[in-house]
Amino acid sequence: MKRRDFFKTSALASTSLMIPSFLKGYVGKGLFSSRSGKNLVVIQLSGGNDGLNTVVPFQNDIYYRSRPTLGVDKNKVLKISDAQGLNPVMEPLRPLYDDGLMCIINSVGYPNPDRSHFRSMDIWHTASSSDEYLSTGWIGRYLDNHCEGCTPPYHALEADDSLSLALKSVEQNGFAMSDPKSLKRATNNKFLKAISNHDHRHEENVAYLYKTMIDTQSSANYLFEQSKIYQSKQYYPQTPFGRDLKQIAELITAETDTKIYYVSLSGFDTHANQKNQQERLLRQYADAVAAFVKDLKQNQLLEDTLILTFSEFGRRVKQNGSNGTDHGTANNLFLFGGKLKTPGFYNSAPDLKILDNGDLIYEIDFRRVYATILEDWLDADVKQILKGNFEKLNLV
Amino acid sequence: MSAVKMENILKMTAIEKIKHLYWRAGFGMSPKEWKNASNLSLEQAVNDLFDRAKSIQKIKAHVFEFPSDRPKNLSKEEKKAIRKNERKLVLKQNADWVRRMADPSESALLEKMCLFWHGHFACTTKGSKIANDQLNTIRKHALGTFGDLVHAMAKDVSMIRFLNNQQNRKNKPNENFARELMELFTIGRGNYTENDIKEAARAFTGWSSNFKRDFVFRKNQHDFGSKTFMGKKGNFNGDEIIDIILARPETADFIVRKIYRFFVNERVDETRVKYLSKLFYNSNYDIKKLMHSIFSSGWFYYPGNIGTKIKSPIELMAGTMRTLGVMFDEPTTLFFLEKALGQVLFNPPNVAGWPGGKAWIDNSTLMLRLNLVTYLFQAVDLNFKTKEEFESAQRNKRVRRIKAEVDLIPMVEFFKNDPQSSVFKNLSSYLLQANSNLELTDFDRFIIKNNQDDFVKTLILRLMSLPEYQMC
Repeated sequence: MKRRDFFKTSALASTSLMIPSFLKGYVGKGLFSSRSGKNLVVIQLSGGNDGLNTVVPFQNDIYYRSRPTLGVDKNKVLKISDAQGLNPVMEPLRPLYDDGLMCIINSVGYPNPDRSHFRSMDIWHTASSSDEYLSTGWIGRYLDNHCEGCTPPYHALEADDSLSLALKSVEQNGFAMSDPKSLKRATNNKFLKAISNHDHRHEENVAYLYKTMIDTQSSANYLFEQSKIYQSKQYYPQTPFGRDLKQIAELITAETDTKIYYVSLSGFDTHANQKNQQERLLRQYADAVAAFVKDLKQNQLLEDTLILTFSEFGRRVKQNGSNGTDHGTANNLFLFGGKLKTPGFYNSAPDLKILDNGDLIYEIDFRRVYATILEDWLDADVKQILKGNFEKLNLV
Repeated sequence: MSAVKMENILKMTAIEKIKHLYWRAGFGMSPKEWKNASNLSLEQAVNDLFDRAKSIQKIKAHVFEFPSDRPKNLSKEEKKAIRKNERKLVLKQNADWVRRMADPSESALLEKMCLFWHGHFACTTKGSKIANDQLNTIRKHALGTFGDLVHAMAKDVSMIRFLNNQQNRKNKPNENFARELMELFTIGRGNYTENDIKEAARAFTGWSSNFKRDFVFRKNQHDFGSKTFMGKKGNFNGDEIIDIILARPETADFIVRKIYRFFVNERVDETRVKYLSKLFYNSNYDIKKLMHSIFSSGWFYYPGNIGTKIKSPIELMAGTMRTLGVMFDEPTTLFFLEKALGQVLFNPPNVAGWPGGKAWIDNSTLMLRLNLVTYLFQAVDLNFKTKEEFESAQRNKRVRRIKAEVDLIPMVEFFKNDPQSSVFKNLSSYLLQANSNLELTDFDRFIIKNNQDDFVKTLILRLMSLPEYQMC
């Protein structure tokens, strides 16, 4: 059956806009304003980035002995401290480091580390211990606790087609949007708008679908309008990751009521022939982050922005038999921003002499980083979000 | 209540049960299957599903055969061309598979079991031969014994390559496969130690594949030494490791739990899982017996288990194709939808497979799901671009319209002379597994009523756009 056979009238093709009544729920309840507070941008390197070849301990013989073919050539390392230097493909980040806009925290991890991707990623996303299983994310719980019932879904926005566990919660999930235009187009359906005004009593999963539908409709128009306000003139690399960061910069500059942005770069699971793959990804990362920081700085927004980069784990100190590295434990973590209290290296290089079964031993629990960001940057009540007491760091 | 009415209710109930069975054990009902269901007892319907799964045809299409010797000095362009061709072939296999799921003349139960095991032994497969081989291995054992399936999957070339067993050599072990074998494929977390993983990895050293993409055991790479695994000591090889894992009842429990969550309910009923695990273990992991027992149980048809599962994207698409007789003009269309909805066959998100349930749903995937049938009817343009590179000939092109044909004639014919209230009641019951409290009047503004054909067509469109249609 063809289109023309189906429609004897064109009454069904719906294009008209209306302001739905459910939007009223968000008016006058005190929306967050990103301008009154601060932005957090979380960058996830998925697959377990090899931190030792990212920030290279170029003075350490054990490093070169453990990685006879994979070690980064001492002469090529970007030497930003006496002990450690950046992988040469990360050259664009060097000026940020020099200007005090970058902080590197070594040996971040957690007790009894798990070497499975999804489990360790879940631990990072949920901020759980390794023997504890949580179904909500640390950002999701922040949404639940910070402003009960009044947070718009896009308060935490992930630049992706789907939502990560980190942004999932009980009451209020974060919001996934890879592109404001297609999101708006998908929600522009008169029939769906009409049934969303219907009174519903449903089984749990069906109710969840209705709630998600209504939230999406209310958010789509807003984000679309926001996305039109500012078009960045900064050059960003033509990679999906570069485009994501550009979109985030534009939304931040447009004073969008989004406080947390979440974006991923994947492919770091380098069990075999690591060098090319990892360096290709690190180059993408460095190019895009450097452009992003420049863009925000030009708009005087870097002081209000904190960028966190993490990966679910580092990799074994010794390279494996296939010019790659296997899953490891503790790893380095990066912060960028205009208000860093400890720019440069936060702590000393990882100890390669004392290892646990060939793996680095963590020095700083990642939840201490979360606790610091939640309390010192987002003004949140950490006790409501993280289980246990995590001593804060001197970061922001 | 009169006797006639009572009989009607009982009859409807049987059809409702068969509809539930068809959705969970397969991909819903075609209009013809729905019509025929009124002549079947539930028992007949269950047995028919299993009868039709008996003769398993090997699939062999869209496969690139590699020469036995590695061709020397392939240029970069030649290698790229091979990879591109391989992607195309895997994509065609993908589309063929969904077509089989939707095709009432195929065995829906077999295809559903294959989908389950495909998600269980989750591998990203980029080559056409190894994709085809893996699917055939799964087809062969999907309703056989789980033990045979695990042994076969451990020698599956796609699995070996995906989990780096290719690089697992004596004195240079790669633990990837050994870890996932225990964590995800058999016994589950908490039932083994890190040392068990190290020892198991040694037992699988040398399990590799050659250039032709066939399994080979590389003797000189195998560690023949003594291993200590799960409290046992011996010169174990991989097969013996698997047998030790299968001897543990925790393995039956782990698999049954996953099957229960997939086929019955995400919320596990511990008593039933315990009963089924025992049955599974004592039958030497007979999958057919387990599934037959589930589909024959009274509790499987409890209201709490009906219409409470969120369809996976593949279930949604295959079911919609079955109901509407959808034919996609190109395999890339289907691939695009899989990608946008979050479930690409031969390409799960990671080795844990697709998480399922509410995890399918976020604002973006939900809107695409709700609009899916509208796009199929070509009522509005889609104009959608997937974020990552489109792995096909149409690389990175924006998809403006879903190119597909739908066949509504069976349903239009079926309802030709029925009053509109009865059409609404029957169509709702046919298309929706979850209860909807919408009345026909709620649809008034969005359907065409002055012409019976258009009434049926527009009502189908609207019912299939409801959130309730996302449930099975």
